[in-house]
Amino acid sequence: MSLRRCSLPVATLLAATLAGCATQNVDISSLPAATPAADNAAAAESRTELAAAVASEGSETAAANGAAPPPQLTPADAPSMYTYDPWERLNRFTYRFNARFDAAVFLPAANGYRRLPSPLRSGVHNFFGNLSELSTMINDTLQWRLGRGVRSFGRFVVNSTIGIGGLIDVAKHIRLPSAPTGFSDTLGTWGVHPGPYLVLPLFGPSTLRDTIGLAGDIGTRYGINLFDLYRGPFYKTGSLDVTDAVDERANTAFRYYATGSPFEYDDIRFLYVRKRLLEDTGLHRHEQPKRPAPGAEAGQ
Amino acid sequence: MHPRPRAFRLLLIVVAIATAGACAAGVAAAGAAADPAGALPPAPGPATGLADSAALRATVFGTPPEDLAPLPARVPLTEIDLKLPWANPVPAVFWFDKKLRVWLSAQKTPAPLAIVIAGTGGDGNTAKLGTLRAALYGAGYHVLTLPSPTFPGFIVSASRTGVAGDLRQDGADLYSAMQTIIAHLPRRVQITDIDVLGYSLGGANAAVVKAIDASEGKLHIHRAVMINPPVSLFTSIGRLDRLFALNIGTGDAAIERLYRQLYAELANLYRASDRVELDEDFLLGAAAAVLKTDAEFSSAIALSFRLDLVNMFFAGDLYAGTGVVVDPRHPPRVGDPLEKIETTLRAMPFSEYFARVFAPYYLAHRADSTAKSLIADNRLDIIGEALRNDADYYAQTNSDDLILDKAELRWLEHTLGDRLVVYDHGGHLGNLGDRSQIADMLAMLAGTWHRPAP
Repeated sequence: MSLRRCSLPVATLLAATLAGCATQNVDISSLPAATPAADNAAAAESRTELAAAVASEGSETAAANGAAPPPQLTPADAPSMYTYDPWERLNRFTYRFNARFDAAVFLPAANGYRRLPSPLRSGVHNFFGNLSELSTMINDTLQWRLGRGVRSFGRFVVNSTIGIGGLIDVAKHIRLPSAPTGFSDTLGTWGVHPGPYLVLPLFGPSTLRDTIGLAGDIGTRYGINLFDLYRGPFYKTGSLDVTDAVDERANTAFRYYATGSPFEYDDIRFLYVRKRLLEDTGLHRHEQPKRPAPGAEAGQ
Repeated sequence: MHPRPRAFRLLLIVVAIATAGACAAGVAAAGAAADPAGALPPAPGPATGLADSAALRATVFGTPPEDLAPLPARVPLTEIDLKLPWANPVPAVFWFDKKLRVWLSAQKTPAPLAIVIAGTGGDGNTAKLGTLRAALYGAGYHVLTLPSPTFPGFIVSASRTGVAGDLRQDGADLYSAMQTIIAHLPRRVQITDIDVLGYSLGGANAAVVKAIDASEGKLHIHRAVMINPPVSLFTSIGRLDRLFALNIGTGDAAIERLYRQLYAELANLYRASDRVELDEDFLLGAAAAVLKTDAEFSSAIALSFRLDLVNMFFAGDLYAGTGVVVDPRHPPRVGDPLEKIETTLRAMPFSEYFARVFAPYYLAHRADSTAKSLIADNRLDIIGEALRNDADYYAQTNSDDLILDKAELRWLEHTLGDRLVVYDHGGHLGNLGDRSQIADMLAMLAGTWHRPAP
């Protein structure tokens, strides 16, 4: 399909999104069936794993490996409860656009995708995960975490060969679990602050640094052009990106405004920025934590 | 280690995962920067004497997967969004709540319909509703799950007043909504009988709906089952407010201190581990590692109620025009910052909602009412006659349910007699979904339940 031929349906979908498509009085939409028995079995299993993980957490620490324990954070090192968001008005409108787009396009597509057999879906998911291993390796190297870089490369080699082109995550079962990282983490390691909160169209919550990181990751992918997948005619790269996005969406248990709350924007912002800042404290594990400047908002 | 609860964000994540759907949960956890009540009257009696440790833990963690009743492998699910004709104009900041969203799991053959109502602040698809839906569907019912009338999506799309929390008014709104929903169900869904159920506040709502139906006769609701219902709404919430003030403290400084302690604790756990991504597994593990004292469990429970209250308070203030946080002449618009409003509301206990929004609104709109009568109207007493005399009302509760005191439990026993089952343990909803709770619930709905001989 050429770009021109698919532009009409795309335009229609976008128009429907922008209009909020709330015209009918009753909408009935069938969802993928719930699977309570399997869900409970999975919950029971993850509970057991969690208990084991908590029990072993102590022995896996840096201290147990012979290194000095990381310096402790004190409550004074915590970022402000308020978040640096100078572009809030724009962000809030983008958030609304994303919510509408999600309801009209993204979520229906993801729900359709969820009806596919689960081995097929996990194959797709593993395939895209495998494609990102090389970028993870490059960023691990830039962050001077060479051991992790080697691990990523090992995962890539094992999964691309024994795992049939990445469809099966074999490496996970030989104690090489996935540990993705990206260019934003690299910038963080180099001391770049997250900067202002930013809601990206389609991508969702981000910060200025994460946005630059995202652009870096996309550039890296294009540069490596693994298996010659990322260059060429639009129908090829486009369908690849759409599949990746739908798979990602189907694996994200979030629904815009399931809370019904007008404070959802604030709550997501709080969570997102705190999560990224906590991850930054991990990037600088062995350094004395930097105390935030007095009066600075989180991310600033 | 500081004796005060140090883990309230983590606690919340656990509570949220235990009590709500995963995504609503993450967001509930996000809103964690709660601020305690400063203006509570001194509480009569021991405020922490609400429940023992086991009850608190059961309330937070819920039924362990291995104790759950057997559930079906597959439950079909349909989402229904309806615009209700009596809804008030939708305020700009609630643009996403125009339609009432409910979920239906329909049998292929004619079957009775079970309508299930969520507890305080819950939408129509909470994890608890998911468990009840699965059990009921497995037992051959069509299942319709509805949000609580205190859920913002319900307040905006289905409430006639916008001021939630009044048993009678909420019951009337629910009853109308049920009629509209049933009229719009796909034609292939053939209903032979209608029963209503609900957990927590939803239980009281369900009973009131059945009582309304008994006089209006539009749906011919057959049986009602209340699961861990409150007896006096305001007394129950008052207890949770008190729990909040005692365990979290008062004033902005206490909240900020708590947030900072928790952040530091999380960061230290994370730095000590060898993880790259701070994912859900890590948070759960971290929560399990720091959740220890009764005070921490108590604050988690109190806080999850408080966070639900924030939305209800905001919507009520907006609709009633009471001006507590929203200037009625300049309501907020889509791009406007709301953080200040949220922070202010987190500091306010239920008593503030009652005094500044609920009472002013209902005193003005309901002839001959007084503050006292409004409180009395929110006791199950208002349908006491029906509960006593109509053999089709049932209830399940626990002897250690935190939202009931001894007198209230006795009242339930007196009023319902043989139609009440009291389990020894479970706290508030901590045994929802376990084998005996589900078996008894299904027997009650079928009218075959008999109180086991002591």
